Amino acid sequence: MEWVEVSVETKTEAADLVTAAFTDIGAGGVEIDDPALINAYIDEGRWDYRDMERKPETGMVVVRSYLANDEELDGKVRTLKASLEYMKGRGADLGTAKVSTNIRNDEDWVDNWKKYFHTDKVGKNLVIQPSWEEYEAQPDDIVLRLDPGAAFGTGTHPTTSMCLRALEELVKPDMTVFDVGTGSGVLAIAAAKLGASKVVAADYDATAVKSAKFNSAENGTESIIEIKQSDLLKEFSGKAKLITANLIADLVIRLFDELDDHLEKGGRLLASGIILSREEDVVAAAKLHGLFIVQRHEEKEWLALEIIREEDR
Amino acid sequence: MAKKVAKLVKLQVLAGKATPAPPVGPALGQAGVNIMAFVKEFNERTAKQAGLIIPVEITVFEDRSFTFVTKTPPAAVLLKKAAGIEKASGEPNKTKVAKVPRAKAQEIAQSKMQDLNAADLEAATRMIEGTARSMGIEIVD
Repeated sequence: MEWVEVSVETKTEAADLVTAAFTDIGAGGVEIDDPALINAYIDEGRWDYRDMERKPETGMVVVRSYLANDEELDGKVRTLKASLEYMKGRGADLGTAKVSTNIRNDEDWVDNWKKYFHTDKVGKNLVIQPSWEEYEAQPDDIVLRLDPGAAFGTGTHPTTSMCLRALEELVKPDMTVFDVGTGSGVLAIAAAKLGASKVVAADYDATAVKSAKFNSAENGTESIIEIKQSDLLKEFSGKAKLITANLIADLVIRLFDELDDHLEKGGRLLASGIILSREEDVVAAAKLHGLFIVQRHEEKEWLALEIIREEDR
Repeated sequence: MAKKVAKLVKLQVLAGKATPAPPVGPALGQAGVNIMAFVKEFNERTAKQAGLIIPVEITVFEDRSFTFVTKTPPAAVLLKKAAGIEKASGEPNKTKVAKVPRAKAQEIAQSKMQDLNAADLEAATRMIEGTARSMGIEIVD
């Protein structure tokens, strides 16, 4: 089906009225380009890191919807314009309320995102394979099948791929591994496939827990991996030889407090998700906790650190 | 995992009933988001408000994963529901004037306080009444 993109430029406060005008003509919803909203997110510090800069504040937004390109289109656009005029006449400040239309090609919205995900060999043997792609495994390949959902990106993101490569060296048969902030479960599943006998994985976010459970089942690792909801290691009992934690710098620092109770003697913490600019903070906190950085991985602006106890050096 | 934000997408769509059709499809497809994963998660989380248009703000990270927050339904939507009308103004001459009691407008203001940029309930109610007026809905005592 061919769609026509219909946009209305209006004042930020009037976005809801314009949305109502759109739904009146049968639009299933709208998209709103709102520079002030992006600025608000930035100002409130809701994002750890971002590629976006603050936008110039214009007090204007663009409300956009899509209508089927059929014989009813012209009538609908006329009704939309009439209803904007009516609101103006009753005192609504809609700004310019300029209406523009633009024909969009029929695209496969649903599968469009798949072009961002491809089978990728991330380590010596570890291969991440999206479930819709065919892949002929080589003899030594260890294949992880993962479908990106809300809690998962590519697994090829530096913070993850550095951990996956490190796991190939660190996981030994019959090892117990704890995975903190498991997300899609990618590190837990890799640990299980690399020979760990028991993996306990957790995430603070219920969506991630669900996603990790799904992916673990897809990979046939349910009998090895236990997945639960937990704030860092709070809900864990016992100790592990290896703890993986692909988090952010502040959470890694908080995690140091919990190692006494959960890291075996001679064990190792693989901490990732540390942006380079926070390296000093993490190193200083590690020192304060009697920890020693035994291995440092760096890729793009990210760091993954292998950490042991000072006394195990 | 620490992730860089690549995009912020704001939509207003039917709670509990989002589909990959526009506007969800084009908006999120361009951002590289797994649309079905969003639709499923959104519908699950908003099932209780099903049928009402609600705003949702989706943060898309550089690795195409995402999180989202939903907001209270727009005043225009709540007013139409309160007035028992499907459509707002549109063709005013053909539409009978709809009425909403002032107490109801105040109730709507109350429910939207957290998302409204209003100093107090009185100011919020005035905003709701202004919206009603623009839509051809009469506020009655």
